[in-house]
Amino acid sequence: MSYIEIQKLSYSYNEKTNVLDDINIDIEKGEWIAVLGHNGSGKSTLAKTLVGLLEPKTGDITIDGITLGEETAYEIRKKIGIVFQNPDNQFVGVTVKDDIAFGMENLCVPREEMLEKINFYAKKVNMLDFLDKEPATLSGGQKQRVAIAGILAMQSDIIIFDEATSMLDPYSKEELIQYIKTLHKDGLTIIMITHDINEALLADRILVMNKGKVFAFQETEKIMKDKETFTSSNLELPVALELANSLAQDDKFKEIRDKLWEYALTK
Amino acid sequence: MGIRFNQVSHGYTSFADGLYTAIKDISFEISDKNEFIALVGHTGSGKSTLAKHMNALIFPTSGTLEIFGKTITSKRDKKIKYNDIRKKVGLVFQFPEYQLFEETVEKDIMFGPMNFKISKEEAKALAKESLNLVGLDDSYLTRNPYNLSGGEKKRVSIAGILAMNPDILVLDEPTSGLDPAGRRVLMDLFKDIHDKTKKSVIIITHDMDLVYQYFNRVLVMNEGHLIFDGDPEKLFREKDLFKNHLDYPNTIKVLDYLNKSLGINLDIYKRTIEEALLEIKGAEKL
Amino acid sequence: MKSVIIGQYIPGKGLFYKLDPRTKIIAVFLLMVSVFLFERIEQLLIALGVATLLLLVGKINIIRVIKGLKPIMILLIFTFIFQIMLNKQGQKVVEHDMYFTLFTLLFLVIAFILWRVMVKITKFRFTFFFLFVISIYLTLRYVDYGQTIIQPFNFAIYEDGITMSIFVVIRLLIIITLSTVLTLTTKPTDLTQGLEKLMHPLKKIGFDSESFALIISISLRYIPTIFDEANKIMMAQASRGADFSEGKLKDKLRQVISLLVPMFIIAFIRSEELANAMESRNFVPGEPRTRIHELTMSYRDTLATLFSFSVLILSIVLKVI
Repeated sequence: MSYIEIQKLSYSYNEKTNVLDDINIDIEKGEWIAVLGHNGSGKSTLAKTLVGLLEPKTGDITIDGITLGEETAYEIRKKIGIVFQNPDNQFVGVTVKDDIAFGMENLCVPREEMLEKINFYAKKVNMLDFLDKEPATLSGGQKQRVAIAGILAMQSDIIIFDEATSMLDPYSKEELIQYIKTLHKDGLTIIMITHDINEALLADRILVMNKGKVFAFQETEKIMKDKETFTSSNLELPVALELANSLAQDDKFKEIRDKLWEYALTK
Repeated sequence: MGIRFNQVSHGYTSFADGLYTAIKDISFEISDKNEFIALVGHTGSGKSTLAKHMNALIFPTSGTLEIFGKTITSKRDKKIKYNDIRKKVGLVFQFPEYQLFEETVEKDIMFGPMNFKISKEEAKALAKESLNLVGLDDSYLTRNPYNLSGGEKKRVSIAGILAMNPDILVLDEPTSGLDPAGRRVLMDLFKDIHDKTKKSVIIITHDMDLVYQYFNRVLVMNEGHLIFDGDPEKLFREKDLFKNHLDYPNTIKVLDYLNKSLGINLDIYKRTIEEALLEIKGAEKL
Repeated sequence: MKSVIIGQYIPGKGLFYKLDPRTKIIAVFLLMVSVFLFERIEQLLIALGVATLLLLVGKINIIRVIKGLKPIMILLIFTFIFQIMLNKQGQKVVEHDMYFTLFTLLFLVIAFILWRVMVKITKFRFTFFFLFVISIYLTLRYVDYGQTIIQPFNFAIYEDGITMSIFVVIRLLIIITLSTVLTLTTKPTDLTQGLEKLMHPLKKIGFDSESFALIISISLRYIPTIFDEANKIMMAQASRGADFSEGKLKDKLRQVISLLVPMFIIAFIRSEELANAMESRNFVPGEPRTRIHELTMSYRDTLATLFSFSVLILSIVLKVI
């Protein structure tokens, strides 16, 4: 049994069209999944149904053996946290410390334990010196890191990033990605919804969504060799792979091709 | 001449860092037509503050600024109608949500022209014209701006400024939050508007691929200083951008990696994938 | 990043910073009640002395408090003048006729212009306002030549009028000083938490003090954000020619709408996203939660409560006797 199992999941705002249409996917513990898709392909809706913010029309979501439902939502949310797009609209606390504590307060964690965990996880995301700062004095990247600390402190081991880097500048983006890499190394399951193909390349597997359906779900390297998948879903390959694919016919360029792949998957 | 900065500095007191100087001793000129300029810099480098000076939304704390012949100093001058400057220099903010407020797209676009005492009929004609200019057809006129997609909202907000018929158009990160395809479509649109109307266009962006592909002049801000003004390729050749929290275009990065890892000697300054491909295919020694 | 400072809280050390917010709220409340119970001016003067002493003990910058009084100075002056004018008991202290003639009018206009000019070019706004009020009085009193506009009228100040006005002003001064000490030394979050705990017993009559406190603290957290945003929206609309300083009333109305609609729509989106973020972090309204901020009482709190209680008892005793 997989860690996360999504079966026959559909969702719609109205009767006519399904925003999510018959999604069937399994995700293993510790995997890093990237979810790609054009605007309106249903990526964010998928994220919201996973944490029980939206109720599916049909289908089941099972996480670590627990099937998501009204009674189990509380248990599920202990395991799975979500970092949203707008850093400002998810910062609940008046200070960094308060915000990291918010989730733990809801779980009724004793105060002493909270203080310990706040220090531990603030250090982990390099925000220890900012514990008493107010959100107005923080950058977008810093706020996103506080959100991560808040989720880690709840002992969740799955984190969804719902376009969490899209409002950040390139520098903070790169910084946040580095933190996500560490989380993955620590064994957390990462589901990253993104526009940025270069970000998606870091994942173990890529899920391409198109009009509410799973268009492709494969290992990163495999999916990148298939240009069709991308162009037909209105997506673009990264520059290095675009070049590599264009040079694919000729053996003369094998060495260059290998280097381009190396570049795409490591940088 | 359109806009000239003469040793402009701007400081303010902020909650976070006390007295903070956002831009320091900036001098440069922007012509009133035919310019297509990118303005880049990391967050907090002062590029947005710079942009807000261009249509007198904020005043320099020291130095002077000439905008279409009017001199802007640190003090509000009662003889100057600042509103007239805003008509000549149109500034589009990053988030369309900041400006859309009417119940139809047409009314919303008309808001700008109507503020300048233009008759209703004329404003309607302008609304239609500028909506077409941003690539949306007449059917959008009667739609509610809040029911549009992110990209469409952006276009409507740009049309709202274009309808005022400014000589210079300044856009604050118009491509952020869009997917790569959407980005390119919007950039083509700006280039097209520029070619058709000869208006000067200044675009704030983070995307160095776009800077390289579309612009022939780039202004680079770093920690409040203007550290570069000139041709993008010259910037990539001469400056260490990583030091300034900036990046290089992907084509340059990829080709440079090939050179270094394979010990070959490709010309890395290629704007597009096609050019890069030709360079690789044409390379003698592999 | 421009931001407003929330409340009047200034970080610092000293006795009042160490007190529990609950203690401070209760103490300020008790002391205010006592101030209203005092009936003699000597008692009030002593109370004012004690209030000043409290500032010294708490190492609070007195100049800061006086600066805080500035905005309500005008209110104090008006209270003072009204009390003097309206109270007609006790012995007459001053009595004379007042005149209002063409010359008076001329003098008044000159005094007014002088006042406005001086206020524009110098810093001492308050001093000049005071001088202006005095010059009105002197003009009415002594300028008696020229064509009369209104018949001379009688002006009298009574003994009780003076004592009452001083009384009221001192009372207000004490109350304001006390509440300034409270807001100056207590973080808004602590203040809300103190209120929450104090109002907890109201749960029996259906008042949910926890939600109330959460609402307040979320509002406090978003004040700078919303302020920032309002600023940006204003600039965005100013870029479209909405000049908020000029224009006819009808145009102005539309311009105000152009500000309000985006603000509300963004607020609407924000509240939805915030609710999602809170829910995904397992917040369930009404469910028990632990708290990171814990209010703790120490011997200081006992002392402060004892002190304010004894002041209250003293005031009751004095009133009864």
